Amino acid sequence: MTSLPVTATTRARDVLAAEWLKLRSVRSTYLMLLLAVAGTAAVGLFATARAKVDSPGYFDAVEISLSGAVISQLAFGVFGALAITTEHTTGMIRTTFAAVPRRRAVLAAKAAVTGLLALAVGEVIAFGTFFLGQRELSSAHLDVGLADPDVLRAVAGAGFYLFVMAVVGLCLGTIIRHTAGAIAAIGVIFIEPLFVLTGFPAWLKDSVLWWAGQAVMSSRPRPGYPSASLGFIVCGVYAVLALAVATFVITRRDA
Amino acid sequence: MIEVRELTKRYGGKPAVDDLSFQVRPGHVTGFVGPNGAGKSTTMRVILGLDAPASGEALVNGHRYAALPRPLRQIGALLDANAAHGGRSARDHLRCVARSNGIGVRRVDQVADLVGIGAVARQRVGRFSVGMRQRLGIAAALLGDPGTLMFDEPLNGPDLDGIRWVRGLFKALAAEGRTVLVSSHLMSEMALTADHLIVIGRGRLIADVRTEEFVRSSPRADVLVRSPRGDDLARLLTDRRAVVVAEPDGGLAVSGLDAGAIGRLAADHGIPVHELATRNASLEEAYLELTGDSVDYRAGTTGEDS
Repeated sequence: MTSLPVTATTRARDVLAAEWLKLRSVRSTYLMLLLAVAGTAAVGLFATARAKVDSPGYFDAVEISLSGAVISQLAFGVFGALAITTEHTTGMIRTTFAAVPRRRAVLAAKAAVTGLLALAVGEVIAFGTFFLGQRELSSAHLDVGLADPDVLRAVAGAGFYLFVMAVVGLCLGTIIRHTAGAIAAIGVIFIEPLFVLTGFPAWLKDSVLWWAGQAVMSSRPRPGYPSASLGFIVCGVYAVLALAVATFVITRRDA
Repeated sequence: MIEVRELTKRYGGKPAVDDLSFQVRPGHVTGFVGPNGAGKSTTMRVILGLDAPASGEALVNGHRYAALPRPLRQIGALLDANAAHGGRSARDHLRCVARSNGIGVRRVDQVADLVGIGAVARQRVGRFSVGMRQRLGIAAALLGDPGTLMFDEPLNGPDLDGIRWVRGLFKALAAEGRTVLVSSHLMSEMALTADHLIVIGRGRLIADVRTEEFVRSSPRADVLVRSPRGDDLARLLTDRRAVVVAEPDGGLAVSGLDAGAIGRLAADHGIPVHELATRNASLEEAYLELTGDSVDYRAGTTGEDS
């Protein structure tokens, strides 16, 4: 019953390990990530097959092979949100906060494990669908390789974008505390470009997450889109801002 | 050891806990009793650092909860048996909770066996019955082998066997020198379970007494007399200023005279008595009387005035 002095590192490791265990022990983790893998591959294959027949004015062999990110970004956002909203809807959050009253440490650990898993799976998806797409395009000699300019950055950027979606999803879940509400908010990010297209000032376009993501995963500058480096910055700002707000609210509410 | 000091917690301006102070000491089972909505759960949530108080504080072993480095090793609590992810297996649930406080898997299996869910620990929590979830919650509370334990309405839900087991567990934990706080809205239940009672109503402390003392001080209500010549006896009793109420089954409920005086009176007049019994007001009635003014929601009284 006596407690030995516990170092901050040990405590951080305990919380990280616990959150990792949580993530691994529910089916929704596997379901969401599998959905992302399958969805991205399917859309990518379809898009590349179509691109061979139908040659559009603008063509980017990388971007077209990664176009399934439309699906996976949602799955990743939901995956991030579920990491905390299921705790709120089941009441598990009270067990969690009673076990670790330092709530910011809980959020940090959740962000670390969901973020790292999302980054790993995101990169696997990005590189996997890229190679799948290029193989498809190769028959029409439209394919590119990783050594071509900006290709590696665009493919890796797609994985990074998915990581950002998971972190933003987790933060929205932390702020909103309901699964349905968080998914709706992620949906807003998803359909945000549609609003921007209809009559918002042009500079706003650069701050739209989905457009930033598109810029990040394109190997050629696209007219009307932010540059790739601006895209990375916008994605980063979203993740940092979301984490800041989530960190702020998490200690200020009764569990 | 739990210490609550001048604790106030408001929800939307309305105080749920109002300047509440008490201590829970080791070695006893302490009952935390009050009507529904009295503030028991709120107090427990504040003790666990889940809710922030408007003023005052709650200390566990002299520290605020948030300052405990590995809280589960000092205090374990079951607030809500449903506070687990239904899709996770019971064992995984316990492992997650244990890991966050640096507690190993061996202890997880140990507590699962201890509460009797060892055999089903690999099943998903969503399939568990209310009673099994409660055992899972108790297992989680015991994980860190803490010196202080807190259970919110643990007797509300399990079947009779479960209730008996839980009671035995509380007594055993207290006998080991631990501090055990158990809440309930039923006094009769707590009288059987707790050595000490903290009674609250509308967020305020009403009583902080030993259970024995509470039972002893419960008002003695009346004496039940049964006699084949009940009418004659009733007349004699009312002559002696006793209040006599005829019961539907023919007995007489007498107040104002004790059983000895009634027995002597009957003997002096040669009236046979078949039954003569002092009736204590039930504990529940004493408790209701005590908390009567502090119930927020009460069904409207119908029919006769009392």
